[in-house]
Amino acid sequence: MEQIVFGIGITALTGALATIAGSAEDTESNIGSQGDPNSQVQLAPQMGFLHRIFNKAVAGEPPAYGLWCALGAGLAWAFMAMQINAVLAIVLGCVLAVLVQGVYATTAYLGRTASLAKFGQPVYIDVIKSMTSVTMAHAFIAIFCTVTLCHLINGALGHPFPLPLLGLIWGIALGAAGSATGNPYYGKERQYQNQKFGAGVPISASGNIVRYAEAGERNSLDNGFFTHKIGGSASGICFGLIVFLEIWRTILFEEISAGWGAIVVGILMILIFTVADRYIEVWARKNYGPYTEAKVAS
Amino acid sequence: MSAVAAKPQAGGAMNPTAMVIGIVMLLIILALCWYVSPGLGLMALIGITIGGVLIGFGTHFVPVGGAPAAMGQAPGIATGVAMLAAGAGLAGLFGGAWAAEQGLVVATVTGGVGGGLMMAITCMMVNFVYVFGMGIPSASGKVAKDPITGDTQAEFKSQGTEGHGLPFVSFVGGVIGGFLGGAGGTLIYLQLLQLYEATLPAVMGVPPAQVMPIAVAAAGIFAVGLFLVNAVLTAYNITGTIEGPHDPKFKRWPRSIVASAVASALCGFVAILIVAL
Repeated sequence: MEQIVFGIGITALTGALATIAGSAEDTESNIGSQGDPNSQVQLAPQMGFLHRIFNKAVAGEPPAYGLWCALGAGLAWAFMAMQINAVLAIVLGCVLAVLVQGVYATTAYLGRTASLAKFGQPVYIDVIKSMTSVTMAHAFIAIFCTVTLCHLINGALGHPFPLPLLGLIWGIALGAAGSATGNPYYGKERQYQNQKFGAGVPISASGNIVRYAEAGERNSLDNGFFTHKIGGSASGICFGLIVFLEIWRTILFEEISAGWGAIVVGILMILIFTVADRYIEVWARKNYGPYTEAKVAS
Repeated sequence: MSAVAAKPQAGGAMNPTAMVIGIVMLLIILALCWYVSPGLGLMALIGITIGGVLIGFGTHFVPVGGAPAAMGQAPGIATGVAMLAAGAGLAGLFGGAWAAEQGLVVATVTGGVGGGLMMAITCMMVNFVYVFGMGIPSASGKVAKDPITGDTQAEFKSQGTEGHGLPFVSFVGGVIGGFLGGAGGTLIYLQLLQLYEATLPAVMGVPPAQVMPIAVAAAGIFAVGLFLVNAVLTAYNITGTIEGPHDPKFKRWPRSIVASAVASALCGFVAILIVAL
């Protein structure tokens, strides 16, 4: 019983860490403009819309976070093997991983923006100076939380995978959850704030991203501030639920019927999310209504 | 026809000669494995190949819209096919590896349920953001009616787009894809773990207890690598984006599973050679 209570406590902690990690990951990727919406940041100058948005998509979010979290976890693991205190080891490992992220962010911005020189897009040095450190700070939070939850899973809950491998797996899952949930909000709702609310961006508007703010030109810090409210929070809840429920069903129900208990609970949870998804879909159809009459729709 | 609708369709053609060559290559690799390690090694390679095929087939179900989905211009999840499939499958592998002591069937199903659960949560949150964050209902661009619910789709597509969000059939596809990916990844891991546990002590000349961490880490990293190989192969097969099982591109799966079987067998053979030679 004591073991189960301990397991539930650790599970709750990992869920909370995952929620913060998901939120920070999405905000970092939006400030740095990494992920699918960056296609518009790259496209805009080619359509004649010069901008001051950061542009650091060197890879998709999942492989990028897989690398950074595996790096942070691997270094932390090495430091712990050198008998350094676990908390300090994780912090040091994550700091070094974030330095790599900073190098990637800088070279990606310079490389990608320089490739747009023929369209007249300048490389803004002040953008590098002001944005890179902010993306690095958010990346540190995301990587630190992910590596810490991996350490808890490995050390306290006894998962067989070594820390670096857990870092790789949960880093990729973090990037997948964060990009899947957060990308549409940044891509549609923020970059195309000049388009109608409640509709997708017409393909003919591609590249015409919003470039001006209340005063002066829009920068990526504004994007992070805006998207964090819904996109970042939703990404955090998404990754937090994934980590929490996956561990929770294992800790509480794995012993029942030689493992089948956790399977049945997992299937029940899938069914609950299926019902919730269907409810959201039907709610939207009823409350927002169709864009055109069914008989004339093409 | 709009830019999104005008995606190349010629990629869907099957090439029987290439498929036969693929099957012959698979048989050659299996024969080589039988020659090098006839018992445990061959069984492991067959399990790895089945796992790889499950991953390749499962990836076809995952609804991925890529960059257009991020602007609400096309349905699906706004990220890459291989990345999302890997995220779900590896979350499943995490659960499956934890249940490895419970036996092959329980661990494989646990891995599958883990992948399915990850996709269920992600797909629901995607629709949550579309509906409550952006005020956009789900609409498919590939079918007039949702094959499961019968909901009409065309009138819910906003002007100038190919649809948006995740219709119910895409949600179900995502869960199935996550399940198959998680189960496949776990199967590969279990096969390699079994092989390494049995052979590494003799190869390294150390007691079995000492070899466990190495066996787990090596099997785990090979499982992750094989997962990415199969997910990326499938991403090429479906040329970037797919809505789910109702998408016409889904019919391309036969050639993908042949490719996945060959690639998995080859990679698995290398993983077996580590202890067989």
